[in-house]
Amino acid sequence: MRQADARLEVRGLTRRFGEKVAVDDVSFTVEPGQMTGFVGANGAGKTSTMRMVMGVLVIHGGDVLWDGRPITAADRSRFGYMPEERGLYPKQGILDQLCYLGQLRGMSRGDAAKEATRLLERFGLADRVKDKLESLSLGNQQRVQITASLLHGPSALILDEPFSGLDPVAVDSMVELLRDRLRQGVPVLFSSHQLDLVDRLCDSLVVLSDGKVMAAGAADELRNAGPTRYRIVTTPDAGWLRDVPGVSVLDVDGPRAVLELADGAREPLLKRAAERGLAEFAPITRSLSEIYREVTR
Amino acid sequence: MTTTDSSPQTPTPSLGEQSPPAPVRNPWLIVTIREIMVKLADKSFVISTIVTLAMIAASVVIGAVVGNRTSDYTVGTSQADAAVVAEASSEAITAAGDTLEVTEFDSEDALRAAVLDGDVDAGLVAGADGWALLGGSEVDSDLSAALTDAVSQSVLAANAEAAGTTLDELMAGSEVTTELLDPDADRGALAFIVGFIFAFLFYMAAIIFGMTIANSVLEEKQNRVVEILATAIPIRQLLYGKVLGNSLLAFAQILLYCVVGLTAVNLTGLAGDIGWILSASGWFIAFFVVGFTALAAVWAVLGSLASRSEDLQSNTGPIITVIMVALFVGLFAEGIWLEIASFVPVVSSVAMPIRMLAGDVPIWQGLVSLALTGAAAYGLLRLGERIYQRAVMQGGTALSWRQALKLQA
Repeated sequence: MRQADARLEVRGLTRRFGEKVAVDDVSFTVEPGQMTGFVGANGAGKTSTMRMVMGVLVIHGGDVLWDGRPITAADRSRFGYMPEERGLYPKQGILDQLCYLGQLRGMSRGDAAKEATRLLERFGLADRVKDKLESLSLGNQQRVQITASLLHGPSALILDEPFSGLDPVAVDSMVELLRDRLRQGVPVLFSSHQLDLVDRLCDSLVVLSDGKVMAAGAADELRNAGPTRYRIVTTPDAGWLRDVPGVSVLDVDGPRAVLELADGAREPLLKRAAERGLAEFAPITRSLSEIYREVTR
Repeated sequence: MTTTDSSPQTPTPSLGEQSPPAPVRNPWLIVTIREIMVKLADKSFVISTIVTLAMIAASVVIGAVVGNRTSDYTVGTSQADAAVVAEASSEAITAAGDTLEVTEFDSEDALRAAVLDGDVDAGLVAGADGWALLGGSEVDSDLSAALTDAVSQSVLAANAEAAGTTLDELMAGSEVTTELLDPDADRGALAFIVGFIFAFLFYMAAIIFGMTIANSVLEEKQNRVVEILATAIPIRQLLYGKVLGNSLLAFAQILLYCVVGLTAVNLTGLAGDIGWILSASGWFIAFFVVGFTALAAVWAVLGSLASRSEDLQSNTGPIITVIMVALFVGLFAEGIWLEIASFVPVVSSVAMPIRMLAGDVPIWQGLVSLALTGAAAYGLLRLGERIYQRAVMQGGTALSWRQALKLQA
């Protein structure tokens, strides 16, 4: 059962703080059922962009579209949101406050309690539901915070640094919960500093630097953008490759080399390599963190 | 791409599969209920309410016991004529709510022994050249006065008869009647006490529940819960819910205090006719509700301007001053000043009920003053809404009212 697939679109979003343009004409799309990673250095404008999407920060220019039309408060109330600065009610019981948040989003208290209990169980917090939030460790408080954003079966998820402070087990249970939502066709936008996580999880990527989008698109497209590079290992020394027509050698290190190939250069190269002794030949897949470093350099 | 579906738990079909619910219709109501439930779960609040109730009931009962204690007197006699005189005094004693029992003894010695043993409160003995009142270490002053009066009546009557006239003729024209030109002034002391209670209750509730509102707003701002709430419901609704929830709590608490206090007053018979207190109490509660609502919006704004609880200590100064003024004007203002104060919103919440306690106030004056406070409450709520919406989303340092108004919504 998938919900009506709706995409979240950000078009020319701009926000100034005094003289400083914190978010500068930012555009990207979060496709339904896709996990979109939002990366950038501190102060790049990720949080401001997410807050504008959620309507808690005034937009100075551009629009946010949901399902092809300007987003409304009612649309946003169905979203799940995890703000950068964490916080729920420290002195209230966990289940109690989750029920309250669920009710504010239109759930009945009973449904909210049932769903909150189910989610807390999956995070291993089933026996803590009556405890006050402040009595939990920071990691567990984070899990409660995630539960709060997932409780009402959100139509989209905007998560600001959802994985920070989580141990690997918690990251896995969280990812599993997110995949449940993704299977429903829900678009997920999350920001993170953990590039390896982004690399592992994301279907697409938006790279922000100084308030501007440096790269945006499907992760595979970004990985494969530009000429394909190959790694070759040939014995005893790779130096001969420099003389092969159509091959530009980027780097040689003993038997190993990194190459870019002109059209039609591949077959003759492999033939000559086979004669000399070929140990390895493979295209290099760039990691998203490499792409990130390249575009933000 | 690698997946992390390595957890042993299998996804269970659940509510998570359903589409998100429609936006809630009356979010302020959910906020109101939470404010009330959180406060009711607060042990210190419940305990302080119970202690206050007990103190109110106890003070009324103690007042009644001290002021209205009745005594049962016993008087002993050993002579027939003394017994007649003692019986005659019982009329005056019963009128004061006390009782008198006359016991006859065989001899004066037996009587003296009974007085010494404390079997009777006093003994009355007729001697050759006068009467004697016998007591142990002392004779109760009320009893002594009543018996002395009865003796002199009896002796005067006998002397009058001997002189060929009657006691009534001798006493004719000596009666003094009291005419009260301002009977309401009789309420004086009690009205002052009730007025003091009104003023103090308002002062206490306005500050206690006001601080609750401010802290509740600040808690959400400080923990950034407000950011999540703002995406779920219009932020105005949050303010309405808080103001309403805490106003209801304050109102319920005051009502409870009044009901317990008045019931105690009625049961103990401390005040013969409490109708005038009851009607003033009704007005007090009405004024309290409107006056408190006016203040509630201001408290909420103060909470939204602060960034830490320490900020509340400095920025709540002005509102606490206003509440203190209401307290002191209600207690000490008189004449024209009290009349003016009874039309100033918030201050009138104390001043008008106190005027009503002191005497008759035309009902239209009460209604006009109530309407003025109501208008002020509405205005403050709308102004508060504008500032609150801006300030509560603003992290960082504490804001001034002026800065908050300049902020973008």
